Amino acid sequence: MAQKPPTQPDDGHVAVSIDGHETRVPKGTLVLDAAAGLGIHIPIYCAHPKMEPVAVCRMCLVHIERFPKPQPACATVVADGMAVTTDSAEVTKIREGMLEFLLLNHPLDCPVCDRGGECDLQDFTFRYGPSVSRFPITEKVHFNKAVPLSEHIELDQERCILCWRCVRYYDEITGEKEIVLEQRGVQTLVTTFNEQPLRSSFQGNLPEVCPVGALTHRQYRFVSRPWDLQRTAGVCPECSYGCNLNVDSRDFEIRRFASRDNPLVEDMWLCDRGRYSFPKWNSTERVRRPAVRPRAGRARDTAVGEAIAAAANELRAVIDAHSPSAIGVMGSAESTNEELFLLQRLARDVIGTRNIDHQLGSFDGITSEEHALGIAEIEECDALVVLGVEPEEEAPVLTLRLFKAQHKRGRRVHRVARDADPAGVVKAMGATTLTGVIADETNREHAVLVATALARKGAVRRMTVTRGVNGRGAKDLGVLPNVLPGYRAAPPGGKNGREILEAAAAGAIHALLITGPNAALERAGELLDRALQRAESVIVVETRPGKVASAATVLIPGHAIFEKLGTVTNIEGRVQRVRPALPPAAQTPSDTRVLAALAAELGAKGWERSDPMSVNRALREAVPAYAEAGSGGRALWTAERVA
Amino acid sequence: MIKELVLGLRFTITQMLRKPLTVQYPEEQKPVFPRHRGRHILHRYDNGLERCIGCELCAAACPVGCIYVLAAENDPKNPVSPGERYAERYEINLMRCIYCGYCAEACPTEAITLGPQYDLAEYRRERTVVTKAELLESWPRFAQARGPASPVGAGADSTARADPDPGISPRVAWDAAETVHGAPEAPQPGDLGVPTHVPTVTEPESRDRR
Repeated sequence: MAQKPPTQPDDGHVAVSIDGHETRVPKGTLVLDAAAGLGIHIPIYCAHPKMEPVAVCRMCLVHIERFPKPQPACATVVADGMAVTTDSAEVTKIREGMLEFLLLNHPLDCPVCDRGGECDLQDFTFRYGPSVSRFPITEKVHFNKAVPLSEHIELDQERCILCWRCVRYYDEITGEKEIVLEQRGVQTLVTTFNEQPLRSSFQGNLPEVCPVGALTHRQYRFVSRPWDLQRTAGVCPECSYGCNLNVDSRDFEIRRFASRDNPLVEDMWLCDRGRYSFPKWNSTERVRRPAVRPRAGRARDTAVGEAIAAAANELRAVIDAHSPSAIGVMGSAESTNEELFLLQRLARDVIGTRNIDHQLGSFDGITSEEHALGIAEIEECDALVVLGVEPEEEAPVLTLRLFKAQHKRGRRVHRVARDADPAGVVKAMGATTLTGVIADETNREHAVLVATALARKGAVRRMTVTRGVNGRGAKDLGVLPNVLPGYRAAPPGGKNGREILEAAAAGAIHALLITGPNAALERAGELLDRALQRAESVIVVETRPGKVASAATVLIPGHAIFEKLGTVTNIEGRVQRVRPALPPAAQTPSDTRVLAALAAELGAKGWERSDPMSVNRALREAVPAYAEAGSGGRALWTAERVA
Repeated sequence: MIKELVLGLRFTITQMLRKPLTVQYPEEQKPVFPRHRGRHILHRYDNGLERCIGCELCAAACPVGCIYVLAAENDPKNPVSPGERYAERYEINLMRCIYCGYCAEACPTEAITLGPQYDLAEYRRERTVVTKAELLESWPRFAQARGPASPVGAGADSTARADPDPGISPRVAWDAAETVHGAPEAPQPGDLGVPTHVPTVTEPESRDRR
C-alpha cells in the first residue's frame, strides 16, 4: 500500500491515497471530504458540513503515514502524497474505544428516545462499536432529563456527547450565542447561558444539528418513530423564501418538518415560524363539500360537477346582463403556478375580464428588475442594503444568509430604515462593485429610489421579498391587472384587488371569482364584507371555512398546498415542486381540474388536459423562462425576454 | 366364531368405559401448551404500572405490520409506565397477525407476550382490531380505561383528519349504524382487562430456560 503517488503538474489539486485508493482533490480539502468522495465512510460527531472543524469528539481519528499519532480526519487538510488508512486494526480499536467512552454515561434509553432510529450514536455503535461495554451499567453518572430550554426545545443532558455542535451553531450560524458548556470533565454540561430560555427564532435547527437525542423538539416529543414517517419532499408554505423541507407525516397527519438541504436557498436552516407551522395543515376545519347557495332560493350541498355548472351559469348570466368586466377575479399567493396560470387564462381568455389580482395593493411599474438578486448571490455582493425590518420579518431565513455573507464572506451588510434617504445610503457605502438591495414588497418604490442612487457606484441588484408562498409566481404569471405572464404589459383598464372589492361593494362588479385561501383578501376587513354581500354571485374555490366561504353563492372545496401537485416560485424565481403529502380533505377534483371544468362549461376549447402535469407543460410552453427553470432552477427574466 | 364375537365386544366395551375424548367446545377448552402463541397480552409490573413504554419496536419488528402504537409522555405525578414514555394507543390487527412472536422478541421490557387464547373469531371484521384496553392485563387499581377504545391504526381506516361524514365510507356507515342500533359487541368503559373466559396466565416458565 502507501506507495507515493506519481507527481503531477500543479493544478491546484493534490494526490492522496485513502485505504489504497488513489484520488486527486483540490488543495485545502479535508481528509474527511476526500474520503467521502471515494465512498469511504468516516464516522463524525462534532464535524458538520456547514460549520468550522473543532475536532473535539475524536471519532474520526485516522492513521496517516509518517504522522506519529492518529489524526482527526475532520480537521486535517490533505497534502500531496498523503497516505491515509481508515480500516486498519489501529483505527478500529480507536473507534471502539471512543464509542465505549461516549457510552460510558449514556443512559442507553434508546427505546424511549425520540432520536432512536435516526441517531448517529446508535448507528455508529452498531457499525463500528464494541458489542459490549466493560463498564457496569449501574455505575453511570446521571444528569437531568427533559430539561425544557424553551417552548420548542427539550434537553436531555444525559444523552449529550459534548460534540459542541449546538454551541457552534449559535456561534457560527446565527451569532446569538445562547448555548454554553458548563463545568469540566465528566460533569461538563450543555446548558443555556445564565439558565435563560432560548429566545432565538432559529431554535428548531438545534435538534437537527445534534447528532444524538440530547436536543429534541417538544412538539415532536414521543410523537412518532422515524420509520413510521412518510417523507415527502416539499417547500415551506409559510413565506416566499421557498425553504426546502421534508414533510414527515404519519396517519395522514404532518408530524414534523425536517430540513432538506438546498445550499442555494435555505442552506439547511429553517426558521421556527416555518418549522413549527405544520399543525395548521392538519386542521379539520376544512371546506368539505361543494355547495350552491343562490341569493334567492334554497342553499344545498351538491356534487362538484353541478356546482361547476352552477358557477358557469352565474358567470354567464352576469356576462349577458352586463359585460365581462363586471366580473372580478381574485387569485391567491398560496396557489400553485399551475392554478394561477389557469386562473389568469380563464379570466382573460375565457371570461374576458381585465380585473384580476391576487392581493389588494397595486403593483404599478412592476418589472423583472425587482427580482434580479438571487439568494445565494447575496454572498457575492460587496455590500448589501436591507431596507427596514420587514424583509427579515417576512422571510426570517434571510437573516442567516446575511449573517453568513457578513461573517463568513466578509461582506458589508447595512440595515437601514425603511425610508432611508437614498443619498445618505450612498454616502455611507464605501466603494462597491456589486450592491444588493433587499426590500419588502410594500416598500418597492423606495427600493427603486435607493437602487437608482446606488447605481452610480456600481452594479445594483434588487431583491423584493414577496408575500405568500407563491407571491412571486402570481406576479410572474400575470395574476395582476397590469401585467400578462412574463411581465408583458397588459391592456389597460384592469382593476387591482382593492378596486375590485370597492367596485363590488359599489355594485359595479356583479360577480366575484375567488380561489384559494387568501390572507391578503382577509386583511380588507369591512370592505370585503360589503363586497361579498353586494355581489350577485360569489364563486369560491376555498380550503378553509371563513368569511369568504360562508358568503359564497357557489362553493367548491379546494386542496391545501400539501394535498396537491404543482410548482411554486420563491422570491428569487426558483421554481420548486410541491407534492401531495396528505390525502385531500375534500373528495373533489384538484383545483386545476375544477378551473378547467369551469372554463369548459363556459365554452372554452382545448382545456381537456387539466391535470397539474399537463398544465405545467402548457405553462412552460407559454412562459419560456419557466421552461428554462425546469424544476428547481431559477426563472430569470432578462430585459430582452420581457420585451 | 364365539372368539371373534368376544374379541369384538371386548373392544367395544373397553371403548365404552373410556373417558370421552370430545371436548364440549366452546364451553370447555383444552389447556394449551405453555409456549402457545395465541392472542397477545400486555403485561404490568407488580405495582400495576404498565410494562409497555410505547417504543414501537414491536411494530418495527412485526413482519406484517399489524401493530400500531401511538406513544405519549407520562405525567410524572400519575405515570402509566415507568420512565418518560408510555403507549397511549396500542392496537393489533388480529386478522393480519401471523402469531410469529417477533413482537415479544423485540420488546425491551417484556411487556408483550403471546397468550393462550386462540378462539378469535368475531362477527364483525372491525372487532378483530384489538385495542390496548382489551390487550392489557387486568389490574384492580386500574378500573378506568386508559386511552380511547376505538382503533385508529393497523388496518382501521378512520383517522383524526378524515371527514367526519364523507357520505360514502363503509366504515362511517358502520359507525352510524352503531349509533342508531347500539353496538352489542363494542367494548364498554368498564369492560376491560382480559375477557372472563380466558384463563389469566403468568409468564411461561419455558421462556427463562430457553
